[in-house]
Amino acid sequence: MIAAIRALGVPIRAEAGLPRRLEARLSFGASRGPKAKVDWADLIGRVASRQDREAFKRLFEHFAPRIKGLMQKAGCSPDEAEEIAQNAMIAVWRKASLFDPATAGAAAWIFTIARNLRIDLFRRRARAGRLEDVSELPDAPDPTEPADAVISRAQDAARIESAIKQLSAEQIAVVRLSFIEEKAHPEIASQLGIPLGTVKSRIRLAMNRLRDILDEDA
Amino acid sequence: MTISHHPPEELLAEFAAGNLEEAHQLVVGVHVAGCTRCARFVRALEQLAGAALEEVEPVPTAPDAFDRIMSRIDELPEDTKAPPPASVTDNDVPPALRNYRIGKRRRVAPGLSMRPIELSGSGKARAFLLRSAPGSRMLEHTHTGTELTLVLEGSFSHEGGRFGPGDFDYGDDEVEHRPIVGDEGPCVCLVAMTGDLRMNGLLGRLIGPFVRL
Repeated sequence: MIAAIRALGVPIRAEAGLPRRLEARLSFGASRGPKAKVDWADLIGRVASRQDREAFKRLFEHFAPRIKGLMQKAGCSPDEAEEIAQNAMIAVWRKASLFDPATAGAAAWIFTIARNLRIDLFRRRARAGRLEDVSELPDAPDPTEPADAVISRAQDAARIESAIKQLSAEQIAVVRLSFIEEKAHPEIASQLGIPLGTVKSRIRLAMNRLRDILDEDA
Repeated sequence: MTISHHPPEELLAEFAAGNLEEAHQLVVGVHVAGCTRCARFVRALEQLAGAALEEVEPVPTAPDAFDRIMSRIDELPEDTKAPPPASVTDNDVPPALRNYRIGKRRRVAPGLSMRPIELSGSGKARAFLLRSAPGSRMLEHTHTGTELTLVLEGSFSHEGGRFGPGDFDYGDDEVEHRPIVGDEGPCVCLVAMTGDLRMNGLLGRLIGPFVRL
């Protein structure tokens, strides 16, 4: 089942880069690490309310190199990653007023922007290859848009945060490697030094656990 | 709308990470847009991705990147708000599809018609809207690839249960389908399909050559 589902992603999945050491740091949230002094959400708010270029520069200096790093980890070339990082920061400027700190962390919000731009990049290229009008490219669907205005999104955010806290560091590591860094299961197995079967079962357990916790009191 | 059939979690995770090809992204996205439960799961994955972004090893951007960005920002038009969505006059088409060009309806078999959805061509799977007449027994078929189906209107039932609006059905080449469309009205589905559809049974073999999905 997992193999079948993973196969769905094949056309867009790029080849993974050279194996790198596993990031052992697994703390959560944009606002809680050693760099917690900086309130990224507040900086985004200043860009939104008064087009504060100083605040924007700090956002750029922090996030642009990280977007580039994450995109390269997920298989983009350095040029592609640079383009996505620059376009993502322009989108942060343009969409700053849409950011709602009550519902998403700043880093998660910026990730979704970069993710959508990566999707757009692949599609624009495919379209350009067919010599079609690229101006009519549809926006990538944005799953963060409200599904149902009735639910309290802030309450939802609290539930999501507490659910993530209940995952083990091991579970988070496999989810991150598999989905966000797009590593193949055998590569994850060798990176973590665990059997392939353990990778698969750990991903499955993490998925089930997350779903179960999120469904509680739903 | 009570949704009882959801995409597998791994598919939602690939969706959240932006790893799905276009047709699959589209079908899962329309489901997520109408399903608070799956939207919550996707947002949880996005939070995990945000944490990964915070902790990834930074790679320096081009030396002039910030200046280039600022000059592009200065060239932005005054009103940078997104344009209002185009008005939707086509009842068949859910809002999530309004940015896509959708082809004309084509009859593919008795009681069965489809409208192709124009994609960028970056992926292998096709996407289309499939409309089946109420009460019809859809052709028994197997897949050579995968098929993601989202019910937009009406319902169908097969061995896996009843599928109404918002329900998501995942089929691969191990699954044999004999869907029966509900009596309440036509069933409109958004489908992403890889590979070919194989019609089974005598009727399928007879009309198979005419079915071009």
